[in-house]
Amino acid sequence: MSRAASTYAVPSYNATPDLSVKGVPPSLLSPEGSRLDGRLPHECRPAYMKTGAVNAAAGSAYAEFGQTKVIVSVYGPRESKKAQAFSDIGRLNCDVKFASFSTSVRGKASQGMEEKEYTGMLHKALECAVALHTFPKTTVDVFALILQSGGGDLAVVISCASMALADAGIVMYDLVPAVSLSCTGSEVLLDASMEEERWGDGGMIVAAMTSRNEITQLTMTGEWPSTKVSEALQLCLDACLKLAELMRSCLKEQVVAGGQ
Amino acid sequence: MEVEAFKRLYPLPFYERYLDSSVRPDGRPLGRARPTSVSLGAVSTADGSALVKIGNTTMLAGVKLEVMVPSQETPDQGSITVDFQMPPICSPLVRPGRPVEAASVISEQLSNVLTSSELVNLSELCIAPGKAAWMAYLDVYCLDADGSLLDTALLASVAALAHLQLPAVSVSEEGRVYPVSSSTSGDVSMEGAETSIKVKGNSISPRRRLKLGAAPFALTCMVHKKHLLADPCAEEETLLQCSITITMNQMGRLVSFYKPGGAVPATTAIVKECISLARRRAREVQQILKEALEDHIESPSLMQTD
Amino acid sequence: MAGEALSRPDGRAGNQIRPLVCTRSLLSRADGSAQWSQENTTVLAAVYGPKSVTGKKENPEYASLEVIWKPKSGLSGKFEKEAELIVKRSLESIILAALYPNLGISIILQVINDDGSLLACAMNAACAALVDAGIPLSGLIAAVSCGVTVNNEVVLDLLKSEEQKNVAHVCLVFPSQPVSVVLELPSNVDEKPEKQGFITCVMRGAMDVDQYLTCVDQGRAASAEIAKFLRKSLGQSQVWALLSFLL
Repeated sequence: MSRAASTYAVPSYNATPDLSVKGVPPSLLSPEGSRLDGRLPHECRPAYMKTGAVNAAAGSAYAEFGQTKVIVSVYGPRESKKAQAFSDIGRLNCDVKFASFSTSVRGKASQGMEEKEYTGMLHKALECAVALHTFPKTTVDVFALILQSGGGDLAVVISCASMALADAGIVMYDLVPAVSLSCTGSEVLLDASMEEERWGDGGMIVAAMTSRNEITQLTMTGEWPSTKVSEALQLCLDACLKLAELMRSCLKEQVVAGGQ
Repeated sequence: MEVEAFKRLYPLPFYERYLDSSVRPDGRPLGRARPTSVSLGAVSTADGSALVKIGNTTMLAGVKLEVMVPSQETPDQGSITVDFQMPPICSPLVRPGRPVEAASVISEQLSNVLTSSELVNLSELCIAPGKAAWMAYLDVYCLDADGSLLDTALLASVAALAHLQLPAVSVSEEGRVYPVSSSTSGDVSMEGAETSIKVKGNSISPRRRLKLGAAPFALTCMVHKKHLLADPCAEEETLLQCSITITMNQMGRLVSFYKPGGAVPATTAIVKECISLARRRAREVQQILKEALEDHIESPSLMQTD
Repeated sequence: MAGEALSRPDGRAGNQIRPLVCTRSLLSRADGSAQWSQENTTVLAAVYGPKSVTGKKENPEYASLEVIWKPKSGLSGKFEKEAELIVKRSLESIILAALYPNLGISIILQVINDDGSLLACAMNAACAALVDAGIPLSGLIAAVSCGVTVNNEVVLDLLKSEEQKNVAHVCLVFPSQPVSVVLELPSNVDEKPEKQGFITCVMRGAMDVDQYLTCVDQGRAASAEIAKFLRKSLGQSQVWALLSFLL
């Protein structure tokens, strides 16, 4: 009856079966159609964003989307590493790390792989939004630390990173809000939480420059009914549009507050 | 503009002019520490966590618990592992890939101070003697590095340990450990678990906070000529070079006196002055921590986890 | 008094240090070397330089100092990193680094055996090796460890077993000249040698402030004797000297 020790790592010899992996998925939607945390399927989590979280950095931002907490700082433009070949456009260097206590199990073996994957994806999502030609021969570093992983981590990192870049005064074509979505059976759940991601059949992450109506990154994983894809994409884009508004107003607020 | 040029060309004489009039460029008197804040429970995936700011220096400490089998020599003791990290976000000097030397030095100091202070009685971490004990991983992340790193890291560690709650668990006779009620899911009630446990004949250890010993608090001072500056920022640390870090516990006992070289030898007069500054600071920080703990217990955030 | 002497595992009195041995120029390839023993605690130090350095280490105003701590066995970890930093910062206060801009000095400390007071022993070995290498110094340093026992007695030059058993111990490094290493003395420095300040202090375990001040006083007295020994042994070209005394 007692739920397995999924939150504690137990030495292997007395390991209890991890019910969180196998077993019956809980119903992610109540009969009234609300989700585990009370949201509607097409509702995003409450979001809080703030720039200027790290004083030592050229620009920084902190983002909190539901249970997901992320901090990003931007350094540069500064001298590229000596080993790098000459480049007449600027370089964007990204790094994503998980804090050791950010996940339910400390220091999972897969964490390093995930960090590498996120680093690559963050770079791809931001690369085309940053006006690299404005800082030739130099590097802009974007460092992210996931303080608490609560679902949709990468999307939050991307949105937060574009805020930090704006805070650092790096020239961009547009902000890059990113939204994740999870597909379970016939339902699509926008801005999925950790629990929903775990039980979902498929996932989608969309990063977009909304004022140019361009997608900088679209990733789909898992199993998707083909009829759902376009609906999901449209949902994500709408959410991106709303997030972009939030990010803009947040940046404006900070500027006004800073000016006073 | 000329002031700015003077500062950049002759940083030390610029600074000394301030010191001679007993004030610092940020407006502080020499002996005053920067504004300090403690907020508990910043990260809910950790079993105990705290976010601490001293001036701009920001640290996030989190404790994660795992179950381990205690060693043969100490069957009734758990263990605690301390690590200090400086991720590249915290300072322009840190680049990804290579670990920073300062981080491993502070990590070593931090674990020494925590051991010396006897803050955590390791037998408190015992679940069932000889069978199971808690292994606590205390990880401190520097989010913004602006001087006095050890002071901030130590305060964050103490606060995270004060916030830590050992979950209620039941232990079977073979030493298997089951959580009695998970804070994340409400489907298993405490009573239900208890009855099922009693049938199996397991013993239960209830959810509880750690009983902590006298908490240590650190203060870094810079010695420059005849001046003594408390709680330096990063700029002051690089400029003045000779530092002393004193750790005192709330009982006024000296836990650590750390002076790694430097141009000025510490005379008895300097030692005494540093100790009195550290003592005053320890009282001040203890009050801040106490208020944070009281706020936290009153606030509804704890209700959620219960 | 006899009871007090027996309170320590090797029968020493609280204020007695172990016999010192200092051997110099043991290594032919190093520019300077010295082995320092406090009975069973032995550290071998080698100094290379001033030599050319590249990259970040090169400083146009000062010679850069590099300290490498080699443990008795195994790989170096956080403890070694911290020890390296402490030795480096302590020696920086006596080396006249401004004489060799753009160059570097390396000190390698090999732990041969650890029977307590390791950091102090390494510090003394490094100082002797620097002299052997002919590096210009503004003075010598003398390091000593000092501990507080469970009976609140203050004892000098701890054994490994005492370090583990005692409530607290501290490693103190004193400059060996009554003159401060900085030219402009802080006005509150009393220039009498018996009031001299320490350069370095590293502490393990907790003690009362009064006990700490007693430790510093005892350490200061012992360091004067260690420095006397160091000077004497350095005065002879290559010599074995033994010293065992009651303060």
